[in-house]
Amino acid sequence: MQVLVNVLLVAAIIALAVFIIFRTFRKVKTGGKCAACDYDCELKKIKDKHDHLMAK
Amino acid sequence: MANVALIGNPNTGKTTLFNSLTDKYAFVGNWTGVTVEKKVGTLKNSDIQIVDLPGAYSLNPLTKDEAVVTNYLLTNRPDLILNITNASQLKRNLLLTIEVLERGLPVILILNMIDDLRRSGQSYDLDLISHRLGCQVATTNARGHKGINALRQQILNYQNISSQPLQLDYSGMLQQAIRQATEALQNDFDYDATTARWLTIEFINQSKAVREYASAKGLTPLLSQAPYYDAQKFADQIYENRLDFIEKLLADARQSVTSGGQPEVTSKIDKVVTNPILGLPIFAGIFYLMFKISFEWVGTPLSNLLDWFLSVPVSNTVNHFLIQVGAMAPLRSLVVNGIIAGVGGVLAFIPQIFTLFACISLLEDSGYMARAALVTDRLMQLIGLNGKSFIPLIIGFGCNVTGIMAARTIEQPKERLVTTLIMPFMSCSARLPIYGLVVAAFFPKHQALIVLSIYFLGIFVALLVAKFYQLLFHVKERSVFIIELPEYHLPRLDIIWHGTWDKGKGFIKKAGTIIFAGTVLIWLLSSFGPSGFVTDSTKSFAAVLGHALVPFFKPIGIAEWQAISALFTGVLAKEVITSSMMVMFHTSNKAVLIAALSQFMTPVAAYSMMIFVLLYIPCFATLATIKQETGSTKWMLFSVVMSLAIAYVTSFIVFQVGSLLF
Repeated sequence: MQVLVNVLLVAAIIALAVFIIFRTFRKVKTGGKCAACDYDCELKKIKDKHDHLMAK
Repeated sequence: MANVALIGNPNTGKTTLFNSLTDKYAFVGNWTGVTVEKKVGTLKNSDIQIVDLPGAYSLNPLTKDEAVVTNYLLTNRPDLILNITNASQLKRNLLLTIEVLERGLPVILILNMIDDLRRSGQSYDLDLISHRLGCQVATTNARGHKGINALRQQILNYQNISSQPLQLDYSGMLQQAIRQATEALQNDFDYDATTARWLTIEFINQSKAVREYASAKGLTPLLSQAPYYDAQKFADQIYENRLDFIEKLLADARQSVTSGGQPEVTSKIDKVVTNPILGLPIFAGIFYLMFKISFEWVGTPLSNLLDWFLSVPVSNTVNHFLIQVGAMAPLRSLVVNGIIAGVGGVLAFIPQIFTLFACISLLEDSGYMARAALVTDRLMQLIGLNGKSFIPLIIGFGCNVTGIMAARTIEQPKERLVTTLIMPFMSCSARLPIYGLVVAAFFPKHQALIVLSIYFLGIFVALLVAKFYQLLFHVKERSVFIIELPEYHLPRLDIIWHGTWDKGKGFIKKAGTIIFAGTVLIWLLSSFGPSGFVTDSTKSFAAVLGHALVPFFKPIGIAEWQAISALFTGVLAKEVITSSMMVMFHTSNKAVLIAALSQFMTPVAAYSMMIFVLLYIPCFATLATIKQETGSTKWMLFSVVMSLAIAYVTSFIVFQVGSLLF
C-alpha cells in the first residue's frame, strides 16, 4: 500500500509537470502569448484589447 | 454609454491621467512606445468609457501611432475629447489642440504638469485661453493626483459642454480654397459644415490619413484640387497661421508668478547626461551602479539569506516530514532534491532580480530613460537603427517576448525585422539567476562588473549583427524617432513599487509553472537511466546525453555533462538552467553548488559559459513570438541557427584567447 501511494504521488507530480509543459507548448501554437510566462503584462493586455477591438 | 477620447502629445502624462481617471493601473513610463495601441477604460463610478489614444504630435501622421488618432477622429464621434497638454510646452502642444478643436467636437483642454509650469515662475490666464479657443480648460498634475476630481466632475457633465468648432482665420487664398472645398463637400457629399471644413483643412495640410480617406470616399472636390493646394504650399501657410495664433494667444495669456528653478535644474542635468561625449559613459556608469546595488550591495546579502532559508529549514523540515509519513527514496528525492532544490535555487535570486527591476523603475520614473534613448540614438544611427529600436531593446532586458512585441512601434518592416532578430541577444532577466550563480562562484569581488560586461557584450553583439542584417536585407528606409524629454521628477515610491512588481511578478509565477515543470523533467532525466531508477546520476539519461556532447562543448570550456545537459533545459526557460544545475549536482544549497562549480571549471570557462547562455538559442516562447511577429517559420529557424553559431564562435574565441592570457 505504501509503495502504491508513493508511486501514485510521484506519478501525479510528473503528470502535472508534463501537463504544464504540454499546456505551455499549446499556448505557443495558438500564438500571441508569452508561453513560458503566465504573467498578464501590460503589453499582453494591450494586444488582447487590440485583438478584441479588431474582432469587433 | 458615453465615449470620451483622450488625445495628446507623447509624454504629457496621458497614461498617468488615464489610470487616475479609470481606476485601472497601467504601466507608467516616460518614453514613447508605452501606449502603442488604444486602451479603453471606464471612468470611476460611472459608465463613461474612456479611450486612451496613442500619443501624437499632429493629425498629419508620421508614425503608426499618430495614424491611429487621425483614423479614430475620421471614423468615430466621441461625446467628449480630453486634450491633454504639457503646460510647460503649450506652444508645440497647442498645434494638435487646434486640429482637434477644428473637428468641432466637445473638448476639454487639460493643462497637465501645471506644478512644473508654476515652479518655472509662469502661469496662464485660463479664462482667456478658454475664450479664444472656445473650449473648457482644466489644470491637473496627474502624477500628484491634483485636479483629477474636478476634471472628473467636468467629464460627468459632458452633456453641458458645447461643441463650437474653432474658426481660425487662415490667410487670403488659403481661406478661399477652404471655403470653396467645404461648400462642395457639403453640397455634393452631405457632410455637415464643421466636418467638411475640418476634412478640407486636414486634406490641404497633407494629412496622409485624410488623403487616403478622401481617395477611398472619392471626395473629388478635394482630390481634383490637390495639385493646386500642394503647388501653393498651403500646408506651410496653415502651419504658420496656427503658430501665429498660438504665439499671440500665449503672449496675451502669460502671467508671472513667483519664480522657481526646476527647468534650470533639468536643463543643467541634461547638459551633462545628454552630452555627446559624456552621455554614453554616464549611461554605462548608471547601469554599473544598478548591478552593483543588485548583485553586491543589496541583492546578494538578501539572496544568501533566502537561499539559507530555503535550503536549510524548508528543505530539512520537508525531508523530515516525508520520512515521518513513510515516503520512499524516489519520492523524497523528487520533492527535496528535485522541486525544492530546483525551484528554490531559482527563487533564491528574487532579491537580485527585484532590486534590479526597482532600479529600472526608478530610472523610468525619474525621467532618465528618455535621455538614455536619446544618447543611444547616436550609437543606433551608426548601425542604421535609431532610438526607436532602443525602447523595445530595453524592454527586452526584462523579457525578450515583450521586447519583440514592443518592436511593433517601428514602422519600417525591415527595421522591425532586424530589431526582432537581434532581440534574443538582449540579456533578459531570466538569465540573471545563472549569472548570479557563476559570478558568486568565480568572481565574488567583481560581480557587478562581470554582469555589466555580459550585458554590454550582448548589446555589442546585437549591434554588430544588426549592422550585418542591415547590409544583408538592404535596409534603406528608416523610421522617424521623436522623443520628448520630460522634466526630471523625484521618483514616487508607489510608481516604483508598481513598476517593480509588474516586471517581477512574472518571475515568481514562472517558478510555479514552467520552472517547476522543467525541474521535474531534469530530475527524471538525472534519476533514470538505461537501467531504470539510479541513485548515481552519472548513470542517468542526462549523463549519457551530456557525455555524448562533451567533444562539441569542450572547445568552449564546458566539459561537465551536468552543465551541458542543463543548457538544453534553457530552451524551456532560461531560469531552468540554474534549477537543473541544482538538481544535477544534487544540492538544495546555492553555496554548495558554488563550491562544486569552482572545482570543475576555471574562471575563463565560466565566463565563456555565461556568454554561451547569453547568446545561444532563445527560449521557445521567444522563438514562437519571432515566428508570430515575422509571420514566418523561416525567420524563427534563422534565429535558432544564427544565435547558436554566434554563441559558439564568441564563446570559443573568448575561451581560447582567455586560456592563453590567464
